[in-house]
Amino acid sequence: MVTNELGNSEKENKTEQQDPVAFFDRVYELYEKAESASGGAVNRFYNIGGFKIRLRFAGDALIPYMTPALAHLETEPFSDPSLTVCLWDSTSTNTIMPPPPWQRNQHHPKRGEIYGFNSDRIHTSFQWGAFALSMLDSDRNLGIYWVETTEQIPYWETGSPLRTIFNVWMNKRGIQLVHAGAVGLPSGGVLLVGKGGSGKSTTALTCLNSELFYASDDYSLIACEPTPTVFSIYNTGKKNADDVDRLPFLAKAITNRDRLSEEKALYFINDHFPEKILTNFPICAVLVPRITGKTDTSLTATSAAAALASLVPSTMIQLPGSGKEACQIMMQVLQQVPCYYLELGTDLAQIPQVIFNLITK
Amino acid sequence: MIKTSENFRINSPKVVHEMIDGEVVIVNLERGDYYSLVKAGAEIWEGLTKGISRVDIMENMVQRYDASRENIETAIDDLIEKLELEELIIIEKTDESIPLNTTNNQSETKANTEKLSFEIPTLQKYTDMEELLALDPIHEVDEMGWPNAKQDL
Repeated sequence: MVTNELGNSEKENKTEQQDPVAFFDRVYELYEKAESASGGAVNRFYNIGGFKIRLRFAGDALIPYMTPALAHLETEPFSDPSLTVCLWDSTSTNTIMPPPPWQRNQHHPKRGEIYGFNSDRIHTSFQWGAFALSMLDSDRNLGIYWVETTEQIPYWETGSPLRTIFNVWMNKRGIQLVHAGAVGLPSGGVLLVGKGGSGKSTTALTCLNSELFYASDDYSLIACEPTPTVFSIYNTGKKNADDVDRLPFLAKAITNRDRLSEEKALYFINDHFPEKILTNFPICAVLVPRITGKTDTSLTATSAAAALASLVPSTMIQLPGSGKEACQIMMQVLQQVPCYYLELGTDLAQIPQVIFNLITK
Repeated sequence: MIKTSENFRINSPKVVHEMIDGEVVIVNLERGDYYSLVKAGAEIWEGLTKGISRVDIMENMVQRYDASRENIETAIDDLIEKLELEELIIIEKTDESIPLNTTNNQSETKANTEKLSFEIPTLQKYTDMEELLALDPIHEVDEMGWPNAKQDL
């Protein structure tokens, strides 16, 4: 392993052209080699946000990591995908990725966009933590996701795979991936916004044990046209490991029980409560959960600006490619619906009841 | 000192902003930082977005708010300095003096109305985003030059 600054030999290796389209084409060629080397493509088909999306895997090594979170949206095969994402890893396919054609530090320090490799057509970013390269050619509706090895894929990446590619592609269609949960009824529901620890996951997951349905816990797709709407994207639930005992009905659904000392508890809701998932519903209200320490749960009206402050920063910092259009979609949705603080009490059974009363009144 | 030979512009496209219910929300897309301004701060921001000069913004505030000219000038200067420091606005030096515009006319019409109480505007910055990063980008580089997780992680 090389742990110091790039040496001269590495710099000399970085002589490939700097054109993002050419780099995309080069990676796509490598994907096709990887696909051949692994015995052909393994395809999975999804309906996400109303769009037909095909995941095309080079072999099956990545499938256990990238598909469980999307399982509730899987559909029959189709021949006319709106978007195809090619996924591969170098280790299982024995297909080497050449050195990155950019200098170290030539990236957004937080989100991972690669400077000089992004344009209206091409998105290129590298996700820290997941150590994954994500690319999208918007002209060809073709995405590429590459990791060196599945061994480095963290649990949260399995919980919300392909966030970057979906975010950039959906944004061009007026749909925004946001850091928010959603629960409700087919006739309408609420968007749950707030940073980690605010009670968002507790609220969303508690509703599984009620007459409400679940769309998501951590990430949702939202659109403002023709009316504010939320689409489920991942059926994943996440919960701080030291707090899972408050949701005993979910205990059987924890997938990473042996690693709770270092990871959040991860649930794939579709595996255990498939009948409780809704794929989309109108947004009736936006709720900002906050923990009160009191027994009872209640609502306090607040402003769209306050709700935006809970939604925009965490969305913008997590999602490469989020820009002005992303902000505008979030602002437009939040201005069209009432916003409330959800004052969370310790009697969890009250939480879904308060939400139910709000959306059915 | 009032600096008349300055023009302000919002640092777009890196910065997006919107006025919602009297509160301005501002996002620095490049840095991923989020800010808000209310009351006098929101008014100052609105003036800056219209390209109104520092002196004209101050005159308008003096007419509208119940505070000394000196206090208002200091508050405006401090806010503009913070906005520049956060790379939300760009100050451009110009050789030409900026003509007074309709803002002053509006001020004159409001001169005899009751003045608003003045609160020193503060730029609210939401700093909780750092903790949202899943992992520090602490890594090694493999033999091909791609970042890799540190082995002890």
